[in-house]
Amino acid sequence: MTDQQQSGPAARPSRRLFLGGALGAAGAVAVGVGGFAAGRATADDSADPTASQVPFYGAHQAGISTAAQDRLAFAAFDVTATDRLELMQMLGTWAAAASRMALGEQVGPVETHPQAPPADTGEAMGLHAANLTITVGFGPSLFDDRFGLAKHRPEALEQLPPLPGDLLRRELSFGDIGVQACADDPQVAFHAIRNFARIARGTAVMRWSQLGFGKTASTSTAQATPRNLMGFKDGTRNIKNSDTKDLDEYVWVGDETDQPWMKGGSYLVTRRIRMLIENWDTDYLADQERVFGRIKDSGAPLTGTHEFDTPDFKAVKDGKPVIDTRAHIRLAAHENNDGVRILRRGYSYTDGIDPVTGYLDAGLFFIAYQKNAHDQFVCLQHRLGQHDNLNEYIQHTSSALFACPPGLSGPGDWWGKALFEA
Amino acid sequence: MTTRRPALALLALALLPGIAPCGYSSNDKDASSGAAASKAAITVTADKGCSIDHATLAAGGIDFTVKNVDATAVSEVEVLSGDRIVGEKENLPPGFSGNFSITATAGDYTLYCPGAATEKTPLKVTGESTDVDTSAAALATQASKGYAKYVNTQIGYLVDAAKNLNAALQGTDLAAAQKAYAEARPFYEKIEPVAESFPALDPAIDARADGVDPTSITGFHRIEYGLFKVKSLDGLAKYGTGLVRDVTKLQSKAKQLSKQDMPYQLTELANGAQGLLDEVASSKITGEEERYSHIDMLDFANNDEGAQQAFAQLVPILEKTDPALTKQIQQRFDALNALVDTYRDSAEPSGYMLYSALTTADKRKLAAAVKAVQEPLSRVASKVAG
Repeated sequence: MTDQQQSGPAARPSRRLFLGGALGAAGAVAVGVGGFAAGRATADDSADPTASQVPFYGAHQAGISTAAQDRLAFAAFDVTATDRLELMQMLGTWAAAASRMALGEQVGPVETHPQAPPADTGEAMGLHAANLTITVGFGPSLFDDRFGLAKHRPEALEQLPPLPGDLLRRELSFGDIGVQACADDPQVAFHAIRNFARIARGTAVMRWSQLGFGKTASTSTAQATPRNLMGFKDGTRNIKNSDTKDLDEYVWVGDETDQPWMKGGSYLVTRRIRMLIENWDTDYLADQERVFGRIKDSGAPLTGTHEFDTPDFKAVKDGKPVIDTRAHIRLAAHENNDGVRILRRGYSYTDGIDPVTGYLDAGLFFIAYQKNAHDQFVCLQHRLGQHDNLNEYIQHTSSALFACPPGLSGPGDWWGKALFEA
Repeated sequence: MTTRRPALALLALALLPGIAPCGYSSNDKDASSGAAASKAAITVTADKGCSIDHATLAAGGIDFTVKNVDATAVSEVEVLSGDRIVGEKENLPPGFSGNFSITATAGDYTLYCPGAATEKTPLKVTGESTDVDTSAAALATQASKGYAKYVNTQIGYLVDAAKNLNAALQGTDLAAAQKAYAEARPFYEKIEPVAESFPALDPAIDARADGVDPTSITGFHRIEYGLFKVKSLDGLAKYGTGLVRDVTKLQSKAKQLSKQDMPYQLTELANGAQGLLDEVASSKITGEEERYSHIDMLDFANNDEGAQQAFAQLVPILEKTDPALTKQIQQRFDALNALVDTYRDSAEPSGYMLYSALTTADKRKLAAAVKAVQEPLSRVASKVAG
């Protein structure tokens, strides 16, 4: 056929059959429908679908004290709509979609009208919930004059100040709304962010996004401490979800807040920390251990023999502190920071290679939750950014702060409902 | 009988966007009793699905209030006549409510709540109505013929512009030929989905040198390569002649098609508009289309216009069933046009800044504005089908 000969690499067949009816191409449509049905029939496979579900509704948002899942998909959005109701409807639709995805269900029916795109994008069909949690927070920039929210901005939601060692890329930082999706299946986490972005289209655009391929923190005593890309166990002394006292003291916003809509919520800080991996890989073991203050293999502090041994920051050997004065664990330890603690929940990431140098672009996408980021994260990072031995091997390339409201009470509640009604 | 509003008021109400005063938590109006009502309240719950307080309604204007209590899978409610949507309300996640109106003649209808526990509920409309709903079939024919007229007009301009370009290619003035090239492009870009329906013609006219030698193709982009990359008229004359021949063929095929009652199906108009925006998103944003002349913004603007024209033909149909969606798409087209206008540059032969002069931030803003139209536009085909 001449038609086929001409439709070689240069031809651009339309993605949508424009004259499908008029030119009698209806057969192609029928084939498509059959193929789809077959795909769906094989989707319901494995055993108990409820085994991997994290409750979506509750006093606090899931995804904070929840035992850290293996994978992360994170996105920051900027609102483009000027209409307050449109933004509220988007948040309401997000909440409904999230409640369903947390059950391993699709955000809406696949079959409505043959001529309409399905409500759900479909790639998570048959994958179950994989412990999916979706956590939403509002950035300082949302509280300007666009939606009348300025008077409801908590004092604690002041943009983070410049911190020592910051090399922030603006296009990878900040945002009106932040969404953290964590799951044990990367496709489930991505599916959540993708469908949020789709629901947002025309109301909000994605400003930046980050995938994390492996958890670097444990938030449960049942979990072993994972290693970061430097090969170290970092975060051994993280707040664990069984410590409700610690959570109340350091993580959940309480009566101290100036904005009641944030009570029961938490402040989220994200930092994309690129590791200069090639340099690190050539550093000798004793120096690597000096940098962290831990033994690489066991994860024990240099003053101990087991991972969970309490570091002895006073120990001295040959006239020198055993744990270096600039060791990461010394500077980050709550004993040395007036008791300040944060809940860490970071993920290792890679974004391929640096196009200029060919070096790996990889590191830690740091995530921390706390009662007040200015009193907690900022205080810690001030010390770390100035003195940490680790600074030679890392660069903070992105930063964001979000106020995550408390959990949703049930269907009909949505992220920010109390804020918009305040 | 319950009270009926004057017909004129009803018609006006039917044209109002359904979201106006409803808020997201307004209370349901009291359900009135009686067999045939002109007002009905729809409540969507997770347990019972979609329920309505009156299953029998009076012919004429009917106002619906809708409230989604806790059905997370449901975001819209529709009233169908057969498979045709006669009215609906979207953006209804749990906790939100709204209203919409229809004008219905006596007959059987279906209340359809996609994703609800009970998805479909039969509705009956009884009695005589003095409000005559403009026949759906007549509106459909009008839209289809209206679009055919637009297409034929644009192809007419295309043929003239191709002849001018051909004449320039037979001559020796490179600048004149470059100008003639830019003048011919808009008309093709406006009606591209129609041309793409003829599998032999589109590649002959508009193939790009993707992975092949640019001298191995014919049509616009072969000429573009000669005029803007090689910067010579050498050997281009035969491609000018070929282009005139091919667009003339396209003209006669499109004319043939427009003799039918429904030259283009309504879903084809909707999908065609969407296809044009796909074109923008996939090849204009990337600057691939006009890789030698960099006049991509001109193509961008004309794809956009072609999409808007196809959509405009559907507006009289769509605004009866979904005035909120109609308004949203129109507003987003307006926003896109306003953004495209900021890239006008009268000093350039194409009338727009060269695409190579745009920054990444410019392109990202344009891409977001296109996506903002595409998403609601993707719902139109299903609403005009039937």
